[in-house]
Amino acid sequence: MFTRRDWLQQAGVGFGSLALASLLNHDAHAADRSSNPLATVTPHHPAKIKSVIFLFMYGGPSHIDLFDPKPALTKYDGQAIPVFKQDDVFMSGKTKNIAMKSPYKFAKYGQAGIDISETYPELAKHADKLCVIRSMHCESNNHGPAIFQMNSGSILAGRPSMGSWLTYGLGTEGENLPGFVVMLDHQGAPINGAMNWSNGFMPAAYQGVPFRPNGEPIAYLSPPTGVTRGRQRARLDLLKQWNEGHAAANPAESALSARIASYELAFRMQTQATEAVDLTQESVRDQSLYGLDNKTSYHFGRNCLLARRLVERGVRFIQLYSGGNEGPKAWDAHDDLKKNHDLHCAETDRPIAGLLTDLKNRGLLDSTLVIWGGEFGRTPTAESGKGRDHHARGFTIWLAGGGIRAGMIHGATDEFGYHAVENKVSVPDLHATILHLLGLDHKKLTYRFMGRDMRLTDVSGEIIKPILA
Amino acid sequence: MRLVHYFLRVVLLLLTAFCFSTDTCAADVETDSFAKVKQVFVKNCVSCHSEAAKIRGGLDLTTAEKVLAGGSSGPALVPGRSTESLMIQMVQPDRMPHMPPKGQLMQDEIETLTRWVDGISPTVAKTKLASRDHWALQKVSSPAIPKIGEKDWVRQPLDAFVLARLESKELKPSPQADKTTLVRRAYFDLIGLPPSPMAIQKFLNDTSTNAFEKVVDELLASSAYGERWGRHWLDLTRYADSGGFHNDIPRPNAWRYRDYVIKSINNDKPFAQFIREQLAGDELVDAQEEQLIATGFGRNGPSNDDNMGKTPKDIEKYRLDELDGVINTTFTTFMGMTLGCARCHDHKYDPISQKDYYQVLAIFNGTSKKDLPLSGNTVEKGKLKDPEKGIMALIDSTPNPKPTHLLWRGDINNPGPVVPPAVPAVLTWKDWPIQEAANNAKSSGRRLALAEWIASTENPLTYRVLVNRLWQHHFGRGIVETSGNFGRSGAENAHPELLDHLAAWLIENGGQWKPFHKYIMLSATYQQGSGHDAASVAIDPENRLQWRQNKRRLEAEAIRDSILAIAGTLDPKMGGPGIKPRIRPELLPASQRNKWPVIAAEGSEHWRRSVYIYSKRQLLFPLLELFDAPNTTDVCDCRLASIVPTQALLLMNDEFVADQARRFAESLMKVHGLDWDMLIQQAYTKSLGRNPSTERMSQANLFISQQASAHRESQSKTPDLDALIDLCHVLFNANEFIFID
Repeated sequence: MFTRRDWLQQAGVGFGSLALASLLNHDAHAADRSSNPLATVTPHHPAKIKSVIFLFMYGGPSHIDLFDPKPALTKYDGQAIPVFKQDDVFMSGKTKNIAMKSPYKFAKYGQAGIDISETYPELAKHADKLCVIRSMHCESNNHGPAIFQMNSGSILAGRPSMGSWLTYGLGTEGENLPGFVVMLDHQGAPINGAMNWSNGFMPAAYQGVPFRPNGEPIAYLSPPTGVTRGRQRARLDLLKQWNEGHAAANPAESALSARIASYELAFRMQTQATEAVDLTQESVRDQSLYGLDNKTSYHFGRNCLLARRLVERGVRFIQLYSGGNEGPKAWDAHDDLKKNHDLHCAETDRPIAGLLTDLKNRGLLDSTLVIWGGEFGRTPTAESGKGRDHHARGFTIWLAGGGIRAGMIHGATDEFGYHAVENKVSVPDLHATILHLLGLDHKKLTYRFMGRDMRLTDVSGEIIKPILA
Repeated sequence: MRLVHYFLRVVLLLLTAFCFSTDTCAADVETDSFAKVKQVFVKNCVSCHSEAAKIRGGLDLTTAEKVLAGGSSGPALVPGRSTESLMIQMVQPDRMPHMPPKGQLMQDEIETLTRWVDGISPTVAKTKLASRDHWALQKVSSPAIPKIGEKDWVRQPLDAFVLARLESKELKPSPQADKTTLVRRAYFDLIGLPPSPMAIQKFLNDTSTNAFEKVVDELLASSAYGERWGRHWLDLTRYADSGGFHNDIPRPNAWRYRDYVIKSINNDKPFAQFIREQLAGDELVDAQEEQLIATGFGRNGPSNDDNMGKTPKDIEKYRLDELDGVINTTFTTFMGMTLGCARCHDHKYDPISQKDYYQVLAIFNGTSKKDLPLSGNTVEKGKLKDPEKGIMALIDSTPNPKPTHLLWRGDINNPGPVVPPAVPAVLTWKDWPIQEAANNAKSSGRRLALAEWIASTENPLTYRVLVNRLWQHHFGRGIVETSGNFGRSGAENAHPELLDHLAAWLIENGGQWKPFHKYIMLSATYQQGSGHDAASVAIDPENRLQWRQNKRRLEAEAIRDSILAIAGTLDPKMGGPGIKPRIRPELLPASQRNKWPVIAAEGSEHWRRSVYIYSKRQLLFPLLELFDAPNTTDVCDCRLASIVPTQALLLMNDEFVADQARRFAESLMKVHGLDWDMLIQQAYTKSLGRNPSTERMSQANLFISQQASAHRESQSKTPDLDALIDLCHVLFNANEFIFID
């Protein structure tokens, strides 16, 4: 059945012009947006940023080889370290208490002297834009649960992902585009599959929409083979005529009008979503800025460039995965850390640097938060000689952009990079901080489900105040 | 807003309780001993727990009342019982989590706090929360049939209840729906498929007084009924064919539970038996294969067996998380109670304590996940010889499960006292002891005791919850909108007498669903039209009192199944392993494990009812997912009926719809040649369940001729067929196809 709310008023206002003929008011702040789940909502407090680009380094990038240098590992190379616990490792048969020094050289960059290893030479030029958090920790040292936690706060399946919470909390400013977009690595999706961008118990309107870099950006965007635009339009014209006649005979049922509008919008999206991913509109110089002129950095560069175009078009949350499928195709450097990270850093270095440059030049960096990080870090000890295992007790992410103190290091791990020891930051803390920057109070952003007011941060989460600008 | 409201509500409840439940007020807890307590707080705690500084964890320790109000982790203390009080536990040495975070109270300070807590009279602190006065916890009554004015309208006793409320608000019921509307509604309600033109005509021609009853009987006897209503049940029980998480591990035997549900519903198994089998099939004395399969109820949730950590604690935590899913599903599905809320603290709205939760956990704590052999399949080295011939079961294998500890804050590192298996005290109407099993028993018998308690006709919730769910699928919404939450935080009961009447009726009729469907569908209330009435809208805009039937959007499965049925391609084959129809190849990379096959073109093996589509957690079938099919992680009580442009894109552009539109057109032409009036009339009636008006006929004719000439111009070899395909495609997208009156 339909609720009686007026869907007519929002006909044709964008991807957000969706009607929820919901039987239930599941939605805690539904009162003001029952007719349009993606209508923009005034946040709890003034926002610092409008959009988030999450560069998700899937597989677990090694903090001690990229941003958190540990001279002690050189000293202990090949020896046992006192903090090690066999229970902490994932590959228990292969990972023993044998420290492994980093194969990379580190240097300090920028006025702030941020440590970055030689893997990221282009990114290093942006050191003064970065806020490096070296004291992250999470609750699982296995990809599936840890990715779930980074995305949804819980190591279990079924919670809405952060992108869903943001679009639920704020709506989207995009006209004919979704509010939460996901772009996969060319090697495929990470494990957990589409559950990683699930809307959980929220309406489907808040689900992440996978965008593809080639062909149709969104599924079902083009008519099937043999159906021209003209033929499609003719069909839609008859459909509209009949649907309008039917709606006129049922004037109180605004869901009928909403569905008519959804077809017109779908028709427009076919052009506008296609336009959004049309990179031929970008100059050769801009394409090269993102590394599109290089085979290795092409794929991720393309996604970074797309992310900037989507930010310009008002998309709220864009998640880009670097690393797909599993094993060496992801940042999951069990066998050979150097080989793995050489590749994935080369794939992402110029694209990320290009993104930061471009956002800055276009004045978008102040209103955009860029997050770099994976689901966990890697062990200071060796796995099978040259690799490193999963490690959840201490790892690094960095943030850059609006509302964030640029050029700082927050928190620390112990001398081996094992435990986060100083200013520890949990995943819910990170989530609370991201929501805060977007103008949302993580304790107030709730969604009623199974009799409970659910939160992205569940029962924890503290805003990381020292990193706020 | 909601959060603020919620806190206000809790605080108000507490304050009201303090001030009105006894003659004394907060003064009782503000005894002399609190003065000393306050000194302890000031010295150690208020830098984090006072309004003046900050209020960590929502706990304010500046006044006795505020201490009693608790914080975001629930009550800080249990009046009169220091050992059960979180605050007292957390200040003990070596307790994790610990308060204060960095430091330790002196022993005499702890004693001061303990004395104070033990000295608070539980009756003073007894809150409204702890009482049973909520309507859903009262016995189901058998309300007298009300006296009403318009006696002629009433066809079934339930109508009298509806009409009495309508009359009291000066509302009038809507006129009866016309016969074409009625037969279409009945088909979708009971079997989820449209009536054929022949079935419609048969009903229109039947002028006998029981013509509609005959239709209802016929549909209830059809096996498609179980497929339709079985799907509703599977929504509640989280059914899927894979585990989700890392590997999305296939569950080659999950479908047996799905088939069990469909078969049980088709056989109209009495509800009490349906409950017993799903919760405790293995503990029934005459347990057969079927009863063991039924315990798949407890196996449906997502799982990650080989990947949740290696330490015994990780493994135990994961086991408890899974059991939490089973407990939640059980209580939400059968009793409309959100028991899961009490895992970490006492329930904030309902009179369910944390202890209640762990006593229920003790009921399930002896269970383990077992894949049992089907007859004829042997077990070798602990594994099934043929892994596809097994039963996914949840069984007890010992009469004496290990003791169950209450876990403070739900934290496995923080065990409390051992609790016995028991049903939640406040939900029960009499003592329901769970006996210790004999030492030589096969299992503990605890779940059977729980099942008998849930299934008891005296249980105040079970049958109310059930009739509300059945009503919901006939009217689009339950009498209680939150059909899985009958607690205080749930929606209001829009018609208490009606709900009780229905529950009593169902109990009296043996708890079988089929007579109940008939009881509802033969009522005047059900048979009302769904038209608009300005005067009624002014009084009851949300139609909570049922002055009309509600218009409804078809569910995902009904949309797909109807397209197949109309195109004449639906294969009615029932049961068996899940089918994998075509998913666009570019969508397949979203899941790298337990891969969906690449299907170049679909064939009849794919064109079975959607309830048989393999439910793969990492990649839900797109058409179903877009139209709000459940995500299979939690109980889905009530599907949304969203309208989003991506749905329009799919129905406009997906090959499935295009392919079926072509087959539909071809099948029509095969019969009717180029008799356009006949082609249009048949296409229309098959799709929309009624004949086209003259205006629509001429519009369609014009459309056909324009399309055919356009196709001719573009050198099509089959311009007429292409034009008819265009029309069929439009019909599959029409609002009149997707909404039922």
